[in-house]
Amino acid sequence: MRLRDDAGTTRLAELWHHDPMRVLMPAAIGDAIPHVILLNTAGGLVGGDRIAVRVEVTGPARALVTGQAAEKVYRSDGPAVEIENALVVGDGGWLEWMPQETILFDGCRLRRRLAIDLTGGARCLVGEMVVFGRLARGERVVQASFSDRWDLRRDGRLVWTDRLGFGFDGAAVLRAPFGFDGAAAMATLVHAGPGAAERLAEIRALLGEETGIAATCLGDILLVRALMTDPVPLRRRLAEIWRHLRAEAGGLPAVLPRLWHI
Amino acid sequence: MITGIGMDTRTAMDTAITATDPAAWSRLLAWMSPSFPTGAFSYSHGLETAVEDGAVHDAATLCAYVETVLAHGAGRADAALLALAWRAQARDDNEGLAEIAELAAAMRGSAELALESHAQGRAFLSTVRAAWPHARLDAAAEMLAARDIAVASPIAVAIAGAVWEIPLDALLLAHLHAVAANLVSAGVRLVPLGQTDGQRVIAALEAPIRMAARHAADVTDADTVYAAAPVIDLLSIRHETQYTRLFRS
Repeated sequence: MRLRDDAGTTRLAELWHHDPMRVLMPAAIGDAIPHVILLNTAGGLVGGDRIAVRVEVTGPARALVTGQAAEKVYRSDGPAVEIENALVVGDGGWLEWMPQETILFDGCRLRRRLAIDLTGGARCLVGEMVVFGRLARGERVVQASFSDRWDLRRDGRLVWTDRLGFGFDGAAVLRAPFGFDGAAAMATLVHAGPGAAERLAEIRALLGEETGIAATCLGDILLVRALMTDPVPLRRRLAEIWRHLRAEAGGLPAVLPRLWHI
Repeated sequence: MITGIGMDTRTAMDTAITATDPAAWSRLLAWMSPSFPTGAFSYSHGLETAVEDGAVHDAATLCAYVETVLAHGAGRADAALLALAWRAQARDDNEGLAEIAELAAAMRGSAELALESHAQGRAFLSTVRAAWPHARLDAAAEMLAARDIAVASPIAVAIAGAVWEIPLDALLLAHLHAVAANLVSAGVRLVPLGQTDGQRVIAALEAPIRMAARHAADVTDADTVYAAAPVIDLLSIRHETQYTRLFRS
């Protein structure tokens, strides 16, 4: 999909979607920019599924993209689930990408890539949360293959990348003290663009002394990492940071889509 | 209890290393010595925070920390990038080298991990250029500078090693050993541990070092380079705001 600016208002310029992915654009009551809701009508992903989402924001348009529900990745004895997301933001544009958590079932295989391409003064706020196992059922991930790749480019140049992953027989690293240390949930949040570094002190003040989540800055990329034993407080923390950044950096109301209130 | 002492049988890799030219050996020992001026002693790769937390408190937990860096963390990923960059430099493939160098510069989990890698890479390459001058070293360094690519530590080691004909298997082992020994030395100072306990940890890390070197030598595609030690990234990020600090990372 592509969004463009029309005399100060962001409008949808192009949209193409195919089952099971749907795109909804409900009225964003109380917000200044459009909300885009991604919906997987299949209710989860199985081996061999491929999902590709591309969101392009032509500067100076601004938009928020989130997911209707958590994305579940089921056990697979064969091929992996492949997710390829691409976020393209033009000069002066602003894009928030905050899907809901991805839940890895025991035995799943997931290969995920997120490419973020910023031009000039483009800004973005991108967060992803992964939950290891159906915790309500007491399930832990014992075997799974997982790879999560982030590539952040500015003006075509790779400025930050993260390649996190393990093979099907390597999931024991989830419990290794200096690997994932038994964390039930992990999150990565990136705010990039002019002025992002100036927000570091505020985010650190907001996070306080908590040990499962912390913020750093690489050039004008503000990076927040988290590993927690409970996804609920992690989600609350992400929402807090998101609200703060969209208000202070984006000049937008400190409110989140209703889907994130639960 | 420290486990994993390397007692496995000799492999093709060990045999190849014994055949290395004595002059190449001599250079390699000089470059990987703790006295080589890269400032390595001032970086702890997040270990200082792990000690502050109590997660690393004796020889066994120090060993587990370093083993994780080697098997899952930046040690593993950097060794793979080193191997890819060594091959690109050895065949004078400027575009290939630039691509790996850009990837290595960007693959850093925190401001201090970036400082640790970039400052050591810069110091390593400039010292080798000054003391072991070579036109191809200058050409590679100038090519990366012209593209404004910061030289990550494994890239500097790869360039110098390929230009001065250090075999890749020996270079990987020596680099990984230097990374491990530097972390153990930091641990001996931080925990603190006795010098002999420190050497026991080094001895226990023989097998993990060898496994990481073998894994790196097998990597032929940069898209397969992954790490799985987010705890260490998080410790490093927290180190930036740690109240009492002896180390720069």
